Amino acid sequence: MSDILVNSRDQKFLLYEQLDVEKLFGYEKFKDYSKDVVDMMLGEAEKMAEEVLIPTYAEGDREGCRFEGGKVSVPACYQDAYRKFCEGGWLCPTKDPEIGGQGMPAAVFSACVEMMDGANFAFMMYPGLTAGAAGLVEKYGTDEQKEKYLSKMLSGEWTGTMCLTEPGAGSDVGALRTTAKRLPDGTFLISGTKCFISCGDHDLAANIIHPVLARIEGDPPGTGGISIFLVPKYRLNEDGSPGELNDVHTGNIEHKMGIKGSATCTLNFGDDGKCVGELLGKERQGMRIMFQMMNEARLEVGMQGLGHASAAYQRSLRYSKERIQSAPIWEMKNPAAKPVPIIEHPDIRRTLLWMKSYVEGLRALNYFAALALDMTHVAEKQREKDLWNGFLELLTPICKAFTSDKAMEICSYAIDIHGGYGYCSEYPVEQYMRDCKIATIYEGTNAIQALDLVGRKLGANRGANVTALFEKIGETIARAKGLPALQKEGGFLEEALGAVVELTRQFGRWGKSASFMIPVLNARPYLMILGDLVVGWLVLQAGAIAEEKLEGIYREKGAEGSRAKQRALARKDEEVAFYQGKVASAVYFTAAVLPTIQGRCRGIGLGDRTPIEMLEASF
Amino acid sequence: MNLIACVKQVPDTEAQIKVKADGSGIEEAGIKWVMNPYDEFGVEEALRLKEKAGGTVTVVSVGPARAMETIRTALAMGAEKGVHITDLDNADAFATASALAAAIKEIPFDLVFCGQRAIDDDSAQVGSILAELLGVPQVTIVTKLEVADNKIKAVKPIEGAQLLIEASMPCVVTAQKGLNEPRYASLPGIMKAKKKPVDVKKAADYGISADFKANVAKMMPPPSRPPGKIIQGDDPAVKAAELVKLLREEAKVI
Repeated sequence: MSDILVNSRDQKFLLYEQLDVEKLFGYEKFKDYSKDVVDMMLGEAEKMAEEVLIPTYAEGDREGCRFEGGKVSVPACYQDAYRKFCEGGWLCPTKDPEIGGQGMPAAVFSACVEMMDGANFAFMMYPGLTAGAAGLVEKYGTDEQKEKYLSKMLSGEWTGTMCLTEPGAGSDVGALRTTAKRLPDGTFLISGTKCFISCGDHDLAANIIHPVLARIEGDPPGTGGISIFLVPKYRLNEDGSPGELNDVHTGNIEHKMGIKGSATCTLNFGDDGKCVGELLGKERQGMRIMFQMMNEARLEVGMQGLGHASAAYQRSLRYSKERIQSAPIWEMKNPAAKPVPIIEHPDIRRTLLWMKSYVEGLRALNYFAALALDMTHVAEKQREKDLWNGFLELLTPICKAFTSDKAMEICSYAIDIHGGYGYCSEYPVEQYMRDCKIATIYEGTNAIQALDLVGRKLGANRGANVTALFEKIGETIARAKGLPALQKEGGFLEEALGAVVELTRQFGRWGKSASFMIPVLNARPYLMILGDLVVGWLVLQAGAIAEEKLEGIYREKGAEGSRAKQRALARKDEEVAFYQGKVASAVYFTAAVLPTIQGRCRGIGLGDRTPIEMLEASF
Repeated sequence: MNLIACVKQVPDTEAQIKVKADGSGIEEAGIKWVMNPYDEFGVEEALRLKEKAGGTVTVVSVGPARAMETIRTALAMGAEKGVHITDLDNADAFATASALAAAIKEIPFDLVFCGQRAIDDDSAQVGSILAELLGVPQVTIVTKLEVADNKIKAVKPIEGAQLLIEASMPCVVTAQKGLNEPRYASLPGIMKAKKKPVDVKKAADYGISADFKANVAKMMPPPSRPPGKIIQGDDPAVKAAELVKLLREEAKVI
């Protein structure tokens, strides 16, 4: 196995041993799936990622997108890759088979997408946005709209976007100025400018369908007065084929730090007063409708972070075994000592294990959120559905913001491990870091995600969602404490949980008092604390599962109680080495990261408000 | 047209191959198995002919239980049905070809594709023996193929030239790199492949014995490379003379 992008054994551990996705196959919705089918799909996803997408990675970055004569072209190598990607059926595997999907569980798709995102995320934005926009048509479109747009979008023949941002309306969407004027036939004339529109214009597809937020003339200001419209780049002919241009013009494309193969466009709608849009859903429901796509997109941005983090770790691991530099520290006084692969140096080993444990924890977090989405579809009892939906809502901002912030750190450490070479374009890690950075910004900045978590998600459902999460964490604490090898680690998680529970209660009290600014001020560090707690939980859960398997193997092979025999076993047997690696992640993470949670919680709990109170002149 | 594609499951080209300590074969733990790349060209060519002229593609494989994955891959690419002969572990080329021939004789066939060789044992014999056993013409190492009027025209590269060979059908063609670019198994293809029929057979069903004509007596890793030699000295002419001497007397290459 090449494992350039992911540790595929870890993916399978997570799917089959930790999340037990096979239980999904027992439900009617996923009855056509089995482990054999999923393994084959993972194999094909790996091929698509490694053979089709990786070859476009550096080339797409060097060539970038071009804007000439009002037209945008993508890197030339994307054309063939896009055709193969769509032919493979990868545009919308999780959609129902009746509309062109494969009914794939989201948890399984996560494993496929992780590889593809790590291979070339800029490319993946075109199909990703298309599937998201098609999802809006599927859920809110009229039969006629579905007939016109859905199959063409889900096959990739046409692509989609999401048009929210305007020059004066970024995080504050309610300030948008794009207008919609009623026409006698029930359609609308759209007029306004949208900026930072990913995949807003390109030459990959024959038409582009833009879901556009705009305000119908006379509707109230703010988010409550916003409606959403479907605006095709080319109007449709009677037979449904693309016809004349719909007065949608590209103003320019951005020149960005990363994801250079993804065309980021300024789009001018209705410069000549001829841009026609169709209302999607009901009037003034635009934000609610767009939130479906935004919530999905936030999970996808989490996957973007994960894909980059995983690829950065895999590359670092490979490089640290190949790169020979410096004799070991214990040979420092021996001039004849030979230099060794850098993986033998303590600081590299610590950095690698830090990266490994975070990558595994982030993988578990993002797949778990996808599993929660699957469970909301199949759970039979309302209580169970609510429980999973609660996890999904609570974890969405954490998946997006915590994963992307940690992924940036992981990419940065990957460059450190590569040294000066890592800073040069000869190795892909510098591009990982550039491509990954946008994930902390778009789809709602990480600061906005933190406000969503603290302002909406903690208190949602009267706090039942976060309480249910804490209960889940408690189950893992009990499981770990029952294992001699992880008893101490269970204690570390328990202490961290206690501190987070207390701070969360404190946030609740502050929220109802005159001190409500303190949770707002500390929303982002709180999100990072909760992220570490959740990763600590999932990494320890994985460690406990692995430890239980190891106990069985040691018993069988007569290696109980003998560290030497257990190590010897791992040298011969890859499975034993893998499980020992899972336990190592749990032991390291709970010792190196979890104890910092108490200190961070204590700091926030002091209620300091200096950043708010100090004068701007003093900054 | 009735098209047959013979496929073999082999270790991935990037797999780290370790020879078992007792020399009886390779360590299979941790190996990723794939369809022999030359067989993929054969499957792809059969699928393209079917898509152009109609017909069915049957995949036939000799291999242990795990070879079913490779058959399913070919079905996911678009083949209609499969035959899997399971109990001929470590079979030699003759036994493998005999089993394939016996299975293919039960199916009407116009054209049979094999890879020109398998990348594991590199024997490059199965396609030719199969043609002999079926009593039909064979064209090996084909990089271009046309089918018309119950005949094939195949291009076969040889040293410094290309041959254009005509043969009557039915016949056996062995596929070489360059014949086509194999497609990926699509997700819809994978979902459909589960429901396609595969006949699982034993060698005895065809009267084939496991008493092989050739057996691998021992497998050994290639000898490790001896360390290189650096010629010391300051005078390039003296060093060059030393190099020539070593190449002639020690390495015996000039």
